[in-house]
Amino acid sequence: MSNGSGLESLVDQTISVITNDGRNIVGLLKGFDQATNIILDESHERVYSTKEGVQQLVLGLYIIRGDNVSIVGELDEELDSHLDMSKLRAHPLKPVIH
Amino acid sequence: MLPLSLLKTAQGHPMLVELKSGETYNGHLVNCDTWMNIHLREVICTSKDGDRFWRMPDCYIRGILLSIFGSQMSLAKSDIDVLHKVIDKVQEESKTRADRKPPGVGRGRGRGREEGGGARQVKGIGRGGDDAGGRGMGGGRGRGTSSGRTGSSRGGRGRG
Amino acid sequence: MLFFSYFKDLVGREVTVELKNDLAIRGTLHSVDQYLNIKLENTRVVDQDKYPHMLSVRNCFIRGSVVRYVQLPPEGVDIELLHDATRREARGG
Repeated sequence: MSNGSGLESLVDQTISVITNDGRNIVGLLKGFDQATNIILDESHERVYSTKEGVQQLVLGLYIIRGDNVSIVGELDEELDSHLDMSKLRAHPLKPVIH
Repeated sequence: MLPLSLLKTAQGHPMLVELKSGETYNGHLVNCDTWMNIHLREVICTSKDGDRFWRMPDCYIRGILLSIFGSQMSLAKSDIDVLHKVIDKVQEESKTRADRKPPGVGRGRGRGREEGGGARQVKGIGRGGDDAGGRGMGGGRGRGTSSGRTGSSRGGRGRG
Repeated sequence: MLFFSYFKDLVGREVTVELKNDLAIRGTLHSVDQYLNIKLENTRVVDQDKYPHMLSVRNCFIRGSVVRYVQLPPEGVDIELLHDATRREARGG
């Protein structure tokens, strides 16, 4: 990540967003603003469960409202390609309680 | 690109809007403002668990209640098949339970038609194109229930 | 502004950020902004077996509004300096 505290350095990169309701959405960052509203293109949701592997749901072009964003992570595609999603088991993340 | 500019650009297009409460609204975006308040037309509201639908001609939603906007531009055919299956299932269910009431959100403004989740509106979703200018509208995304959040078994996403 | 300045002084240090969804992320503090949004580098989730959701994330942006605690390195706390800064802030200058 380069300088600056915003999300400029992540534009056009694949990011992994964790929302306040505990969802994990992965896509290309196309834009953002001061309020952390986010434009995600070619996005999909990764649904974690303890009973089966990670399910990926295709979403498409999305805007996520900033006050629903917890974490924006830069997805390391190299690391990600080595993950076997079908073997990952986990509880869904808890929602954020303010 | 700024999120609010994209939203402005989406005016006139079909979109999916999810509220923080979990309900989803599918409709055509008529207008929006800098607070993300939005006006939708020809709306289908889907309950949080994805198994109840309501139709309303117009709907105005405060921006602060929203969590996610989606265009339905990259949905695959498989999603549409899922949606059709869900609708078939709901139609069967509604034959046995014709006394469902719509949620407060539909009645509050006094404009939502009080339909009992019956076959008529459900068929409307299935045809999709009849009132949506040929593009069609999908039902909301199901988030599943306590059994998990796979969303695939109950909710459908699609476009006509 | 006190906390903003304080966190800016901690840039480069190793911190653990605990979120309001119980997730705890450890990493090097890269930057902070006026909303106390935090950017971390070389991140790892503290309990990765329980939370494998960020296995392929090494750098992340955390929204200030979801931070519950920031665990600081002991050597990053200069109590005298904090006292002075707090008094200065309280006097309005």
